[in-house]
Parts: sequence; structure tokens; C-alpha cells
Amino acid sequence: MTSAIEITGLSHYYNKGTPNEVAAIKNANLRIEKGELVAIIGHTGSGKSTLISHFNGLLKPDEGKVFVDGKDIWQSKESLRESRFKVGLCFQYPEYQLFEDTVFKDIAFGPKNMKLDDEEVKRRVLRAAQLAGVKPEHLDKSPFDLSGGEKRRAAIAGVMSMQPQVLVFDEPAAGLDPHARKQLIDMIKSYREQTGCTVIFVSHSMEDVAYLADRIIVINQAEIAMQGSVSEVFSRGDELTSMGLNVPEITRIFLMLREKGYDVPKDVYTVGQAVPHIKRLMEGGRAI
Amino acid sequence: MISDITIGQYYSGNSVLHRMDARMKLILTFASIVAIFLCKNFFSLGLMVIFTVAATLLSCVPAKMVIKSLKPIIVILIFTAVLNIFYTTGGDTYFKWKFIEITEEGVNTAIFMAIRIVSLVVLSSLLTYTTTPTLLTDALERILSPLKVFKIKVHTLAMMMTLALRFIPTLIEEINRIMNAQKARGADLETGGIVARAKALIPIFIPLMISSFRRAYELAFAMTCRGYTGGEGRTRMKQMKLRVSDFIACAVVCALVGGIIALNIYFEAVI
Repeated sequence: MTSAIEITGLSHYYNKGTPNEVAAIKNANLRIEKGELVAIIGHTGSGKSTLISHFNGLLKPDEGKVFVDGKDIWQSKESLRESRFKVGLCFQYPEYQLFEDTVFKDIAFGPKNMKLDDEEVKRRVLRAAQLAGVKPEHLDKSPFDLSGGEKRRAAIAGVMSMQPQVLVFDEPAAGLDPHARKQLIDMIKSYREQTGCTVIFVSHSMEDVAYLADRIIVINQAEIAMQGSVSEVFSRGDELTSMGLNVPEITRIFLMLREKGYDVPKDVYTVGQAVPHIKRLMEGGRAI
Repeated sequence: MISDITIGQYYSGNSVLHRMDARMKLILTFASIVAIFLCKNFFSLGLMVIFTVAATLLSCVPAKMVIKSLKPIIVILIFTAVLNIFYTTGGDTYFKWKFIEITEEGVNTAIFMAIRIVSLVVLSSLLTYTTTPTLLTDALERILSPLKVFKIKVHTLAMMMTLALRFIPTLIEEINRIMNAQKARGADLETGGIVARAKALIPIFIPLMISSFRRAYELAFAMTCRGYTGGEGRTRMKQMKLRVSDFIACAVVCALVGGIIALNIYFEAVI
């Protein structure tokens, strides 16, 4: 089976050919399989956004190749355009890209660009709105009358409506309050469950990463520093800290408990996983 | 593409011109531009060219950058030169074919015009290459401050200019971001006729407008919060001071103007 996205030897430089030349991403190799939910983490300015902009050909690699569904996207104009629809990219603060006079029309912008017939466009808009959690009564409203969280859902629906095989989010929950944040993260989870699509997301929240992801890619100073399952990556906490990252808070607490001599595992990454252990301790599982 | 636009094209350096007082630079640039148009013969024009080249060398701005600033006017340059060759008549005739006639005066005028335009652009770009936009508007504000007598809000105008210049890079970045977001939704900005392309800009410009207004409000609030009330009673962080070198520069430009006038009187005018 072909990978959803495969990248080989990818490098991208900014200000190429000038004294200010900097590598935004250096010799990156990665494979993302179909149906995976992958998190990309890294310090601010480490090259995450540059990397994901290559997934649908918004940026052209200076070196290396990008394959979407087994096809080199820079092979021809058609394959490039195809990649735009196969890989949906949802940027940071997507609500700033809303422009139509109704939410419905805005969500329909992508499918219309795909030259689908009106019936299909409508079907996709309604489906995307449902997946993204846009309330049906909001569809005829102006997107500018919605609240911040609702705007973001509408904008995300605008990407989902293209029904991409791969959906990429750049910090989907940035700037939202804790409640809206939780809702959005759950929305991404249910989107994956309902559609079975590949999802890639960039995040600074290790809690969200631990809760959502199957696999983590760590980027540090323009290079892929680590790749692996959640437990593989979070078990290397010291290395993460040296990159300006961290492990989830609950993992840190469990590591501290272990230091104090409590019998708890060190591979606990979500509050959900932690609950039975805490209960056990409370019921008298004293220090060993 | 969009990032090629250079307004406020400052080239950082520490040359004599960079260190000059911005007010003096602004006035002297203006004076030497006037001097360009005083030239009446090739001798005075030659003096002007020497001055322009000398100023460029003093600024330490690479020749490549200076030539780049001439790029946008190449069309205008060729157009005026060609027009002048054919439309000005007088003196010896060099070439004649049916109604097309090239005369001595025509050629002279064409050369004059071309050199004038080039030195005009070079001198004014030297000003922007060696002076930061903030210093420039600051200088403009001080030079225009006598206009306060006529109730013109010089400070407000200067502040508006500073802010406008400050936000050009921000807006370019914003445009790029919105363009990428809409491209990711399959917006096609590169193909199609004029109408299709103009229509394709709507998804870019509406979000841009909205975010610009938002930014303007935020900036206004931020300025108010920091106690900004306009120009009244504001002191400056950077005091401008005229130094000896500024007066030397002033003397040089005066000598230039004097020299041009003298050469104009001494030699026969050709234009």
C-alpha cells in the first residue's frame, strides 16, 4: 500500500543565494501511512510550518521529493493541483481566511474550486459542517457574526468540505479558551473516527498530543529529531527538554511520584490513563 | 513576487551619508534635484553627473542596488528619449526619411532628458537607501513644522506616514498568509483572463481588509493606552543635531549649484 505522504531528502532554504540564507528544513525523510493520526511538535521557529506547507505543494522543495499517495506532486501541473485537493491544509488562525457573505458559501469555496456540480457541493458542505460541528442555523449567517470558536469551526469546515485524504492542522486550538479547545480536540478525534482519513496536526500542547496522536514527529532546528509512537517519544523526556519541549504534565507528576518512591508506571501520558493508578494509591497502595 | 516591492528600501551602513542629519539630507537632496534642472549645457550636466556618482560612491551602497532602483523607470526612460529624438527639431539634420527626422537638438534633448531622469532617481533613492523611513518622516515633520502656523497637523501627518511605512511588511506577510490559505482551498490565482483573475482576488482582499481594520483598532487602542495624545508636548528620543559634516555637505551642494550656474553662463546653452 502506498503511504499517504512520503517525503525524501527534503530541504528548503529561505533567502536562498543571499548571505542571509537559512535552512528552514534540512534533509527531512518521513512517511505518513494512510489513516494515521500524527502529531508534529517542535519549538517555535523549528520549521514545522515550512514542513507542512510542502505537503500540498504551497512551497517547492529546494532539494528532495514529496509524494502524496505515491505520486510525485511536482511532476506536472495537474499532479500539483491534485495534491491541493488530496491534502487539506488548515493554517493557524484559519478564521482570518473567511470572506464570503454566508458561512455556507464560504465552506463551499473549496468544493466549487474543484468544479463539482451544485448537488455535490451542497452535500459536501452539509457533511463538512456536521463534521466540524458548525450548527445548521449558522450556515445562512455571515461568518463575521459568529463567535471566535464558531468562526474557527466554519473555517475548518471550509477545508474539510474538499474531502481531502489527508487533513493537516497547524495549531488548531491556538488562542481558544480551555472549553473550546477541548471541543476542538474532540472534534478532530471524531473526524478521524468517522472518516478514517489521515490527520496530521502541529501542536504546542503535549496534553493534546498525548490524547490524540498515534505517532509523534519531533522537529528541532530544521531537522527531524525524533519519530515514533507516543510512548517512545515521551520516554525521552530529557532530550525533549533540551529542545525546548516537554512531556505532558501528568507524565511529569508521575515521574515525580516515582522519585518519591511510589509504585507508579512512568509511561502515563493522559489523565485518563492516570486515574486508575491514582485511585489505587488513594486506596492505600503505600510506598514500597 | 510580492516581497520584491521595496518601499522604505533602507540599506544599512555607516557611511558619511548614513551619518548625516536627515533634515539636511532631505533638503540637500531636494536642492540637488532642482540643480539637475538648472543644467543648460553638457558642461554643467557633466558636473551634475560627477556629483551624482560621487554621492553614490560616498554612500557605500553597492552599484547593483542603485541600478536596481532604476529598473522600474527603464520604460519611461526609453519612451521619453525616443519621443524627444523625433519630436524636437532644430540644428543640423542627422537623418531624414519621409516624415521622420532626427536633428541635433532632438538628440541633445533626448540625452539631457535621459541623464536628468537617471540622476533624479539615483539621488532620491540614495536618500531612501541611507535614511531609515522613521528618520525620514521625523525629518519631514521638523522641516514642515513651520506649517503649524496655518493649522496644518504636521505631527499627525508624519505619524500617519511612519505607521503606513511600518505596516507595509506586516501587510505583505498577511497577504502571503491569506494567499496560501486560499490556495490550499484550491483558489487559482495564476491562470485565467483579467476578469477571472480580478475575481480570484476577492477571497484575498476581503480578509485583508478585515484584518487591516482590526489591526488599526488594536494599534489605536495600544497607542492610547500608552498615553499617546498627539503631537502636543511630545519630546523626542532621538534629538537631531547638525554637525560640521552637515555644513560641509551643504557647502558642497551650494558649490554645485554655483558651479552649474557659472558653467551655464560661460558656455553656450544647448537646451
